[in-house]
Amino acid sequence: MTATTHPTPDRTVGPVRARAIGARPPRAPGRARTLRRRRRAVALLYLLPALLPYTLFAVAPALHTAYLSLFDWDGVTLPSFVGGANYRRVLTDPQLRAAAWHAGALIVFFSVLPICLGLVAAAIVARRPGRRGTSAVRTLLFLPQVVPLVAVAVIWRWVYADDGTLNQALRALGLGSLADSWLGSFTWALPAVGLIGTWVVAGLCMVLFLSGTQRIDREIYEAARMDGAGPVREFWSVTVPLLRPEIAVALSITVIAALSSFDLIYITTGGGPGNSTVVPGVLIYRLAFGGGQVGLASALAVVLTLVISAAVLVINRLAREAP
Amino acid sequence: MRPTSPAPGHLSRRTLLTSAAALAAASPLLGACGSALTPGAKSSATPSSSGPVSTAVPTGKITLVVADADDTTMTPGLLAAFHAKYPNVSFKRQYTGWDDYLKSVNTTMSADSAPDIAQFVSGMQNLVKGGLLLDMSRYGTAYGWADTFPGLDQITFSADGRTTGTGALYGVPGGLSYEGVYYNKSRVRKLGITVPPATVTALEELFAKAKAAGETALVAGNLDGGLNHPFNVLLSAYLKPADRQAWAFGHKGAKITGPEAVTAATTLKRWIDNGYVTPKVNGVSDNDATAAFAKGEGVFRISGNWAAAAVAKGQGSNAGLFPMPPATAGSTLRTTGAGVYYCVSSRTENAAAAAAFLDFCATGQAAAVTAKAGFMAPDASAMPAQSGLLGDVATGWQAIAKDSGLQPFIQNASTPTMPDTLTTQLQLLAGGKVSVEKFLAALQADFDQYHS
Repeated sequence: MTATTHPTPDRTVGPVRARAIGARPPRAPGRARTLRRRRRAVALLYLLPALLPYTLFAVAPALHTAYLSLFDWDGVTLPSFVGGANYRRVLTDPQLRAAAWHAGALIVFFSVLPICLGLVAAAIVARRPGRRGTSAVRTLLFLPQVVPLVAVAVIWRWVYADDGTLNQALRALGLGSLADSWLGSFTWALPAVGLIGTWVVAGLCMVLFLSGTQRIDREIYEAARMDGAGPVREFWSVTVPLLRPEIAVALSITVIAALSSFDLIYITTGGGPGNSTVVPGVLIYRLAFGGGQVGLASALAVVLTLVISAAVLVINRLAREAP
Repeated sequence: MRPTSPAPGHLSRRTLLTSAAALAAASPLLGACGSALTPGAKSSATPSSSGPVSTAVPTGKITLVVADADDTTMTPGLLAAFHAKYPNVSFKRQYTGWDDYLKSVNTTMSADSAPDIAQFVSGMQNLVKGGLLLDMSRYGTAYGWADTFPGLDQITFSADGRTTGTGALYGVPGGLSYEGVYYNKSRVRKLGITVPPATVTALEELFAKAKAAGETALVAGNLDGGLNHPFNVLLSAYLKPADRQAWAFGHKGAKITGPEAVTAATTLKRWIDNGYVTPKVNGVSDNDATAAFAKGEGVFRISGNWAAAAVAKGQGSNAGLFPMPPATAGSTLRTTGAGVYYCVSSRTENAAAAAAFLDFCATGQAAAVTAKAGFMAPDASAMPAQSGLLGDVATGWQAIAKDSGLQPFIQNASTPTMPDTLTTQLQLLAGGKVSVEKFLAALQADFDQYHS
């Protein structure tokens, strides 16, 4: 979040400094230092409108959560300090460990599948000589992103219901024996919920990659073709490497979505059947709002935040390495 | 990460500046928060618990603030009826949707501007320890609420709020609800069976007949744990009332692993395994099960009177209801139920007026309002006569009230995490993933962890 806001102040500061140095003769070193300091203060002043709400509504609550994670607190009566006990439970509780596995499995559905689909779609579109209809395709694919996740979840509950559209389609095709109560099945509930995520995120990835391919110089494709590259070779040697920055962005966004998923799961299965679709987000909600264990919920939230931050850091580090 | 990103040295200096500024901005904030960082309520001054209280309604001009999550016409109706009777007492109602109410009510009640009267919901027991709820025991004695209200044990708490059913009284029910057995009259007639059955075993025989005729015997949905309805009433039928009460109310040392509980859980498991219950029950939501039954699917459905309106709308006079039969023929009727309870803030300045409103809920005038909203009135005999399904519901309620057979849901007051644990475990049981013994042991483990 902060990374994307950086370039703007940077650009406003840059020219000011250039003009100041170019227009005026050099002054005494002490004077220059105060001037620099004043300019830095002015820069901070420019940052303030963004910084203040961010600090108040994002940084402070996050710090507060970290603070609360050191207490045993039911949310109402006086809390008692327990130090790292909540963190010890987070790391040892079998239910929490199951939730971590499920979140990991969701990465396949939220990140790997949509990015693969997006890349293939982008490659196909990029190979076409004319680009008519691209914006229509883009609008269509982006639609799931516009619908609120809760509405998406409700729609898919109908799709997956025993007499829902999916089973109706299977029966119409004479595959009635395959029909199942998808969200109530211990085997299928997690993949079923994951595929909803794929449906939502795939559009975003495709749009991201489509705009990326438009940035790729067509001459590179032509050169590759002159060298005798087929569509597959072109895909691996041109499209994928040159879309590297977009892939990194898509991976960051989708991994965050997978690990912090809550609304989809909460509306479709609530973590069930049994614990087969429980994810950290659902557990945090259960512990804090139903279970009266605000401290433990906070500790879990802190650990989840750290894991997500680490994952995003690793992704960005990998993306920055030269191909 | 992008070509436009600034040089590393530059970045780190700016990051440093930013974080310094963030800290600078945050530190006075943190300082200002101070004690607000752990905003738990200190025990507020508890009013003296001795001395007589008056049952006279105060005569001065009084405004009571009422917070509730009752989306029926009951609460507003009761407030209006009381105001009509005592025009000097007016109300300011703060309605909040159910989910938001559950999450916010404890903070609302901890505030200096707490409402005078609030709808009691599970989780508010925590307020007892903080001294934020007014002990109504003396008013209860003065008004004689023990005789006029059923189900008072559900709002009686120990001083630490962890145990229900013993200790001081904190409110009264405005309207009650209970679980019964709905049935589809034309199907029952076609199957040639007679209702109500005398025992649980006889009910199961009816299920078998329905199943043999190719019908769904018991319509249920367990996507969100709806099998807790049959499980709760089976526990009501089989367990000794004291044992069931003790567990549901979180009494120390209570067990749900005894032979009676095993019988109850085994019965439910058998219903599922024999194919009496809606197939693939884990994939059907409780609401969808009610909707399916209202549309004419299946023969029986175990649910609460809150579903009566929906069922009556779909089936009209073709739907009926009888109370859950007992385990042995002729013994007292027992079932599971809850209610809309009202409690009073310890910060109220008008305790006498609030108590007068609570007392009003047991009157015949209140019963008309309560029944119209679809609830069971505390005074069962004062409920207006109704026909059809709603008539069945009222008759059933009178029978249960006569036997004092209303028992709490086991998940509402045993531990804060029990609703989720019970849902999870019922799904595992229905899916054949755990044995009956393991299922009960898991419920007991949640109980023991909280009450250790």
